[in-house]
Amino acid sequence: MTTEVEHAIEVENLKKLYGNLVAVDDISFNVRQGEVFAFLGPNGAGKTTTVEIVDTIRRPTSGKVRVLGMDVRKEKRDIVPRIGVLPQGFSSFDRITVRETMQYYSRLFCLRNADIDGLMDLVNLKDKAKEQYMKLSGGLKQRLGIAIALVNNPEVVFLDEPTTGLDPRARREVWEVLLGLKKEGKTVFLTTHYMEEAELLADTVAIISRGKIIAMDSPAQLIESNADNLVLTLHPVDEKAFEVVWKMGFEPVLNNHKNINVRVERTDDIRKILNALKDAGASLLSMDVRKPNLEQVFLKLTGEALNDGASGEKGVE
Amino acid sequence: MNLRVVGANLVVSIKIFYREKTAMFFTTTFPILLILVFGTIFMDRDKVSFNLCVQDLDQTETSAEIAKTLALTGKFKITRVDPAIDATQYAKNNKVNIVLIIPKDYERSYTQYLQFDDPNAFVTITYVYDPSSSSVVAKMQILDMVFARMNQGLSGKPSFVRTAEISIHTREYRFVEFFIPGIIAMAVMTASLFGTVNVNTELRQKGIIRKLSTTPITHTDWILSNILYQFILAVISTTAMLVVSYAVFDVKLRINAWLPLFIVLDVFTFVGIGMILTRIVKEAQSATAAANAIMFPMMFLSGSFFPLEMMPGFLQKFARTLPLYYVNEGLRASMVFNDNLTALSYSAIIGTFAAMVFIVGIMATKWEEGT
Repeated sequence: MTTEVEHAIEVENLKKLYGNLVAVDDISFNVRQGEVFAFLGPNGAGKTTTVEIVDTIRRPTSGKVRVLGMDVRKEKRDIVPRIGVLPQGFSSFDRITVRETMQYYSRLFCLRNADIDGLMDLVNLKDKAKEQYMKLSGGLKQRLGIAIALVNNPEVVFLDEPTTGLDPRARREVWEVLLGLKKEGKTVFLTTHYMEEAELLADTVAIISRGKIIAMDSPAQLIESNADNLVLTLHPVDEKAFEVVWKMGFEPVLNNHKNINVRVERTDDIRKILNALKDAGASLLSMDVRKPNLEQVFLKLTGEALNDGASGEKGVE
Repeated sequence: MNLRVVGANLVVSIKIFYREKTAMFFTTTFPILLILVFGTIFMDRDKVSFNLCVQDLDQTETSAEIAKTLALTGKFKITRVDPAIDATQYAKNNKVNIVLIIPKDYERSYTQYLQFDDPNAFVTITYVYDPSSSSVVAKMQILDMVFARMNQGLSGKPSFVRTAEISIHTREYRFVEFFIPGIIAMAVMTASLFGTVNVNTELRQKGIIRKLSTTPITHTDWILSNILYQFILAVISTTAMLVVSYAVFDVKLRINAWLPLFIVLDVFTFVGIGMILTRIVKEAQSATAAANAIMFPMMFLSGSFFPLEMMPGFLQKFARTLPLYYVNEGLRASMVFNDNLTALSYSAIIGTFAAMVFIVGIMATKWEEGT
């Protein structure tokens, strides 16, 4: 019997050790029903370890993890039919076709009426139904993995790095599928080290570094509360513009291309600068404003670049 | 246990097998090749015929009789060596392990012994032989036996101690018939052990086991489907082996309910051992090495190829601790000797072992990672 709970996933003081190595260090978070929750972090940060504990592949060292109100340690058999999982580095039987693979997994869930055609439509694989797994491209394999994760019409879907290793086109194809899931109102737990993926898909992003959650909020709120100022870049006709901005109390920096970079706190400041330049008769050839993104948020919070790994430190996924 | 889940796994395994042409080829042809090769080697074991080189230095009708007598025993194919050449050199040059030399005065000494009853008259037949050859001792023993009979015949008195042979079996069995049940047991063991170890380590390395752990399939469902799959392969390969055995070697074996029972127990035992190995050894290459370490002692020490009597006493005792021994002997008891009582007792022993290994296999199978 399905029980309605406010949080699809509840994690409290979760810890995972491999010998002396702390992979997940006392983290707590909740995932609401129907939201897309993204774990964002570099390789080795502890994303996969966490998601694999929550989706019942691994056992925690300590802490409480509940999925749909059930304890992952004690009630795995009841949890499994209600979740769908795309594990990291998903693979399937080489010589089994797309349709046969879908049928196989639907039989493992003892489903007589699984909507295999509908799922193949959803992930745009219908024309590959008779293709063997080994002959599919990386993107198609991932899409099949997502379709398999949905074969039991799960209430919670876990997708562990669904687009890693895919080319930009294949990545976008997978994103389209995930946006479809979001529209359907599925609860999705996603791990990724692509900030644009988290920004595009997630309602809530948890930034994880070295086994700890260091920030958690909506992407917009994370950027709002953590990002540095906006950067206004001016390409002036003459040097008068520099003086005008300087006199307004900002700290303009002239770069090698004779462009002026100005850090501003609010969009209102941009308007004030532009008005002042107009009043002083300082003409501009062009200008642009750079908005901060999650990459910059991550850099600010951790001191590490998001896609460079954990500062070369050996980590456990 | 969920039959629908077991069935789903079985269907996928069979489809993969059918589509892996090389796997299918080796599953069916390897046991057939074994039967053909070893069957041919052992087919005429009961009527062994050795090559024997004879150099007759006497070149008389009487000396020629020796070669004829030796040929008539049916144990030797005679090759004559030119009396003018050196026998030792001939043996070395032609890689012959024995040359029998009939001396020059053979006929004269023979006449003197028989007609003049001269007790001092004798001849010396010389064996020029290669002591490093494994079959030369057997040849010399047979030759000694033939010459002892000739001496006894020449003495004119009938034998006092005579021998009679009574087989405990109602008909005479050929060695190839003894050998085939052993090969069936061994082929089923090899396929079950390696099939399980290879498939499970490959699926684990590819991450498929990790995915399966997030589905409702249980360890029991998984092992049972592995056993069923291996049983189907075992039936295919056993059928192929039996067809070839009947067609090529004209064997007379009893095919009854004991055969599928022992095959099932063989499969249960070695799929179970394979599951335990997969748990202990994680990497595919190490798992194959571990499977080899189990397979080779079973293959050579449990009496699949050779009767246990040929082995030293301590190895015979050791053989009785190997599960394959009970499959070999149980199959022989049922297929060759029609001995239901032995088949029953051996099936009980291997059945108990198979049940234990199956339970440990289920307990050892672990899909969740880390603790």
